[in-house]
Amino acid sequence: MERKQPDLVLIVARSFATKLATPTLIIDAHGDLVFFNDAAAEVLGRSYVDIGALQASHWQELFHPRTLDEEPLTAEQTPGGVALLERRPVHDSFFMSGLDGREREITVTAFPLFSHPDEVVGVMSIFWELPAAP
Amino acid sequence: MIIRVWGARGSLSAPGPATVGYGGNTSCVELELADGTTLILDAGSGIRELGQRLLERDPGELSICLTHLHLDHVEGLGFFAPLWRAGWKLRFLGPPSPTATLRERVSRYLSPPLFPIGLSEAPAEAVFEDAPREPWRVGSAVIEAQTVEHRGPTFGYRIEEEGHVLAYIPDHEPYLTATLDDKPEWISGWALAANADLLMHDSQYTDEEYRSRLGWGHSSVTHAAAFARAAGVRRLAMFHHDPMRSDRELEALYDQVAATVQDDQDPPLIAREGLEIALGAGSRD
Repeated sequence: MERKQPDLVLIVARSFATKLATPTLIIDAHGDLVFFNDAAAEVLGRSYVDIGALQASHWQELFHPRTLDEEPLTAEQTPGGVALLERRPVHDSFFMSGLDGREREITVTAFPLFSHPDEVVGVMSIFWELPAAP
Repeated sequence: MIIRVWGARGSLSAPGPATVGYGGNTSCVELELADGTTLILDAGSGIRELGQRLLERDPGELSICLTHLHLDHVEGLGFFAPLWRAGWKLRFLGPPSPTATLRERVSRYLSPPLFPIGLSEAPAEAVFEDAPREPWRVGSAVIEAQTVEHRGPTFGYRIEEEGHVLAYIPDHEPYLTATLDDKPEWISGWALAANADLLMHDSQYTDEEYRSRLGWGHSSVTHAAAFARAAGVRRLAMFHHDPMRSDRELEALYDQVAATVQDDQDPPLIAREGLEIALGAGSRD
């Protein structure tokens, strides 16, 4: 039996997210998606149980994040990616495609999860879907 | 590895006729490793008597692994005789804090007004270090520390020697952040306890008590047993007994835990002062 498991900070973050009614998504230190809550599933168009853990590259392919000028965003350019790479909180808006086929504008606050002052074990992203412009 | 329990009570020392069977001293466990090295887990009031026993030998080096700094895990330090004798070399290891060193945090207790004598006055050579993030060797054993779910920075320890594993997680509330049917890797402490021969685990509450103490950092006996099963532990030792729990009440809880044991597990036991276990060679109690 391999004994690897996520850092406790990620375990607690995941537990926190399951209890939040606000859409929340968690990536690990590699940028891979490790969890999103039921509220996030409403925005992303499918539940975490259906999708499961995802590598960063697959996450891009599935949701096609784009700037508000419709320029493609790489994983590193999304708020979660910036928070992970630059170890700072980020707040930004962008477009994405839900797996239910709907295009959405979302606003994200992403912040790094430090388990030690020098160690980031992941990022928590809390986001909101903005109402479509009239 | 020989394991000796010097204190298995949680939260507060609880001496008296109702607890004399399992003991009233707070957490302290001595490990005698195969190469003769002594490793100590926690410094609750049980470490006082252990210290007296250690004085019977020549001064030497000791490693003391602290799970955390709640008083019931450090309150014995002021009466740990080797600390107050020149010639002893004591290496204290514990969880890190972003705001203060381990020595500074322990000194908050070992200094006036909480204690009359400051840590700096101790004649022994005492060093305080954050436990390494990667497994490290002490004598003939390999030690691993991981943060576990409890109030404040708290470690559990995994000690492996000659293919036998002791997991020591005395203060732990794994099912605050997991559900009973979660994947094991999302349960706090799982990697420390996985496939351990013996797990000494927080078993502080009854199920009824736990309902009103959710988030206090401790487990019900039901959760302790569930955690042991999830981790594939061979034998659970109920540990960190509630200070209000009498010997008779502890034995009633034991029956509840024993009823859940599966075919691939050994019967559980209640950790008590004086209990001695040789891992891999059966109990020497």
